Amino acid sequence: MGQKLIRHFFRDHLGQYLMAIVTIGLSKVLQVQIPRIIGNFIDQFRAGITPLMIERFAAEIALVSIGYVALFGVGQFTVGKLARLFEGDLRRRLFGHWEYLESHYFEQHTVGDLLSHVLNDVPAIRQALAGGINQTLQAVFLFTATLVMTITDINVSLTLVSLIPLLLIPAVVVKLGPKIRRQSRVVQETLSAMAGMTEESLQSIRLVKSTGNEPVESQRFTAKVDTIYENSMRLVRLNTTFQALIPLLTGISFAIALVYGGALTLDHRITIGSFVAFTVYLSMLVRPLMQFGNVINIFQNSSASLLRIETLLQAEPQITDPENPHAVPVHGPIVFHDLTFTYPEGSEPVLRHISLTVPEGSTLGIVGRTGAGKSTLSRLLLRELDPPPGTLTIGGVDIRDVARADLRESVTYVPQDGFLFSSSIGQNIAFPVEREDPAQILQAAHDANILATVQTMPEGFDTVVGEHGLTLSGGQRQRVAIARALIKSHSRIVILDDSLSAVDGKTESTILDALQALHDKGRTLIITSHRLSSLRLADHIVVLDGGEIAEYGTPAQLLRNNGFYARLYAIQSQGSENHG
Amino acid sequence: MADSVQRNAAAKSGSSQTIRELLVYALPYSRLFIGVIALVIVYNLTQVIQPYLVKIAIDRYLLVRNAVLAPLVEIGVVYLGITLIGLLANLFQTRVIASAGQQVVRQIRIDLFSHIESLSMAFFESHDTGRLITNVASDTTRISQFFTQFLLSVIRDGLTIVLVMGAMLILNWKLGLLSALVIPVIVAISLVFRPHLHKIYSTTRSRQSRLIGFIAENLTGMRIIQVFHQEKKQLGAFNHLNLPYQNANVNEFRWDVFFNRSFDLLGNMSVAFMAWAGGMAVFHHSIKIGVLYAFISYIQQFFEPINSLTQNWNTLQSSMISAERVSAVLATPPLLLDPPAPLSPDSVTGRIEFDHVGFAYDPARPILRDINVTIAPGQFIGIAGETGAGKSTLISLLARFYDVTSGAIRIDHVDIRDMRQEDLHRWVAVVQQEVNLYSGSIADNIRLFRSEISDTQVKEAGRITGADDFIRRLPQGYQTWLTPHGANLSAGQRQLLAFARTIVLDPKILVLDEATANLDAVSEIAVQRGLMEVAKNRTTIVIAHRLSTIRFSDCIYVLDKGRVVESGTHEQLITGRGYYAEMLQKSSLAQHAEIT
Repeated sequence: MGQKLIRHFFRDHLGQYLMAIVTIGLSKVLQVQIPRIIGNFIDQFRAGITPLMIERFAAEIALVSIGYVALFGVGQFTVGKLARLFEGDLRRRLFGHWEYLESHYFEQHTVGDLLSHVLNDVPAIRQALAGGINQTLQAVFLFTATLVMTITDINVSLTLVSLIPLLLIPAVVVKLGPKIRRQSRVVQETLSAMAGMTEESLQSIRLVKSTGNEPVESQRFTAKVDTIYENSMRLVRLNTTFQALIPLLTGISFAIALVYGGALTLDHRITIGSFVAFTVYLSMLVRPLMQFGNVINIFQNSSASLLRIETLLQAEPQITDPENPHAVPVHGPIVFHDLTFTYPEGSEPVLRHISLTVPEGSTLGIVGRTGAGKSTLSRLLLRELDPPPGTLTIGGVDIRDVARADLRESVTYVPQDGFLFSSSIGQNIAFPVEREDPAQILQAAHDANILATVQTMPEGFDTVVGEHGLTLSGGQRQRVAIARALIKSHSRIVILDDSLSAVDGKTESTILDALQALHDKGRTLIITSHRLSSLRLADHIVVLDGGEIAEYGTPAQLLRNNGFYARLYAIQSQGSENHG
Repeated sequence: MADSVQRNAAAKSGSSQTIRELLVYALPYSRLFIGVIALVIVYNLTQVIQPYLVKIAIDRYLLVRNAVLAPLVEIGVVYLGITLIGLLANLFQTRVIASAGQQVVRQIRIDLFSHIESLSMAFFESHDTGRLITNVASDTTRISQFFTQFLLSVIRDGLTIVLVMGAMLILNWKLGLLSALVIPVIVAISLVFRPHLHKIYSTTRSRQSRLIGFIAENLTGMRIIQVFHQEKKQLGAFNHLNLPYQNANVNEFRWDVFFNRSFDLLGNMSVAFMAWAGGMAVFHHSIKIGVLYAFISYIQQFFEPINSLTQNWNTLQSSMISAERVSAVLATPPLLLDPPAPLSPDSVTGRIEFDHVGFAYDPARPILRDINVTIAPGQFIGIAGETGAGKSTLISLLARFYDVTSGAIRIDHVDIRDMRQEDLHRWVAVVQQEVNLYSGSIADNIRLFRSEISDTQVKEAGRITGADDFIRRLPQGYQTWLTPHGANLSAGQRQLLAFARTIVLDPKILVLDEATANLDAVSEIAVQRGLMEVAKNRTTIVIAHRLSTIRFSDCIYVLDKGRVVESGTHEQLITGRGYYAEMLQKSSLAQHAEIT
């Protein structure tokens, strides 16, 4: 997939790539003329020179360099630009693909892991396409051109003998380059470990101070700083070794050229000009040889990245829409038919034999302790998880037979964590709808009991929610999330997944009043909670325990049953029992 | 205008002040720096000698009649030897300066961190934690660049330019001066390009961070996007950020290429220039051909160091800004100092006395007024009141995060201001509503990384508080790794861990900012049980948000607008039909009145 993308990209931009190859090739041919001109220039002194000739030589050097620089710049820029276009396109593909994958995928990968595709893998591929190709072209052309010049113009044996030490350069680069890169990554990691520890310590500063733990914290910090020191020095040692080895090899090669080239000059097998030109050529060979090593490293690095991106782009959602989807019925109950559900990677079912009918327009409350399967139930209804065929129907139609887009139009949802985007409150509320209609936003905010709060903010609905909604209190965030669900006024089914836990009693009560209004308009409501006060609207309550229905009935029936519900009721009203 | 001049002058004196502060840290390494300079001189000399050797070879041994090979071999050997010496000198100076620089920064970091930890709570309330983390992490890294990059560059590159210039002047001063013309041109080009490049880089970076922020947020909220079926809308928003970033990337590369190729061109042009000027000089017999060769080599040696110097000028500026920020933090004194002659009893019974305590940040708006409360050792005390009544402030005063503005707080008849803070914090432990976790094992989280607290003590604490029940069910038990933000523990479990912390630290006075609002019923029972265990043999003060927690207190104090308005046991207070009774009624109404 990834490789195919690259191939397609090459094919689509073939003209520009050919142009880049030609310009870089030509530029290198021009570049290698400069030492030859200097050599001829010096030889001309022995043959007799005039000021006019000197000027002509100087002008020749100037013109050739202008041509070389211009051509090279154009070629280099073209390759780099194309790579950056590819990079942008690849990022777009990644994002689009993530949107296409289901929540199961996101449970298996942390956001940090996924971000590292964008932050590391995509740039690594870009680097191969930009730096990799550019350096390959430069190295191949410059190396070949230089060799051709030294062999044809100067001397074969001098070239071959002087080249021997230089040939070790790519090996050095390939051997040390990755080590240096790895070590510098280690240094970065130790630095962020220090930052992390600082963050942790400062966030717990009250705890630190109230336990007099400052010396322990300083000690822990010192340990982190010492690791940084050690790793940085290891990096410095690698770097300095690398930086010494290359000039050492060059120096040896240069000394050989000096002696052997000198001897050849003495024997008049080469001219003094050629000797000078050769020393310049030799220094020109160092770069391409280093680039050969670099290129190997870059391609190695990026091939791992390419593989990761390929795997990502090949990941397919496990939940798919039917080929000929049914429409979602507007009327009719939600029915669970003996539903048993096991997560794809799980061994034990999280829901067992759930049989339940939620009549149209009624309100169902779901209670149970953490892990009882409450959230799984709502996720099945949104088809974030796939129920077994025939076990979950809306108005008689299996929800597996409808398109998810349609299903999610008729079901609206308030998540447990009250996730909001860091855009304005108005934009957050209008998130589910195509166009932001102020009247609609106002109505939804009013229904969710957040309107008054928003109106006291200086910027009203334009107030931007801080990252992950941090400028709003938990209760406010939750109410904005409720408004966001309520703006989908055409949705027949409303699911509140433990959405009221973060609001205080009074707010809860007013939100429930708003929900009551929805209920009166004939909506089906499903409310999950561990606080019984949130369930006062419920016509029926189901108590889940260990994935099974432990109790079912109207609140009054359940109280009489003396089961889990009645116990919970007793605990939660304890604070006031003496009083009553 | 005059104003800006003044400000500039102030900024300048500020930065020279900052440099001095940095150099104080470097003082212990001053001998090393001298060694480094010596090594740099050696290295640079070898670099300058190399073209000179070739010049000698050309002029003395190649362009003469009846030349022989032997001296040429000698030159080759000398060349190699000099190369080796240069390399070794370079290797050592880089390592030495890096080591010194890293040690300096290590010390700055440790000092900075310890200093921040020693600052008073008031400082943390008025300073953004994120900013402080930047101080410790990024600012110190930038300061380290001052030592490892800037200083090295100034010494090495500065010397290179001086030595190359010197060599040219010795070979031929007229031609040398002429070559020096290239220096201002290089500097000018750098000065024109650099700020522009800088601006372009920062545009790219800010667009990148906006895009990455967007992606991170959308990955986190992907469920919401999918559940509300807004994939297309978000992809549009993504493109809206992705394209500008891509364009900025291309633009940045364009300028990079332009800048580097300009330098490239300038280098070649100066060779052409040297060919002309030097060629003319050879023509007029003022220099030999070997000298021309040397000049052509030397003039190219100007480019690298000047480029590097201008680049490091930016490093200097950013290190200075960072150094100023760091020294500003270091200059902040801790507000609360220990008394010169502390009165710290070896042990306390846990008697607490609030004697006419008042507190205000702003005198016009007192937060606590005339609090008179005496708590006997071992009592369990509840404090009730609405948000903003001053409950948390009372705790902060007892833990001496702040000092009282009037009156006094005494523990066992000793004013807490007369104690060492270290001692006070050994007697008084505060368990907050939000339990902080560290990345580390559960055991380390309980013992707060104190090596003197053994595993046995930790497990004992776990057992007493009931935290043991859930810890043992975790795959790695007490060695299970926790993260501060990780949701691997529920609110109730965190609370139990905090109780276990208290047990191992064994304070005589326990203050608990109760956090049962987010607990489900089952956890609430476990937490209550844990609390009762911890409260044994300690004076315990609980700030209640849910009144059920403090029903069994020895005494409940009710705060309103910074004053104690009522006190007594639960039973006394509800029969009084006062403020407490009213609060109780309100909360129970909200709790579940409608359910029955």
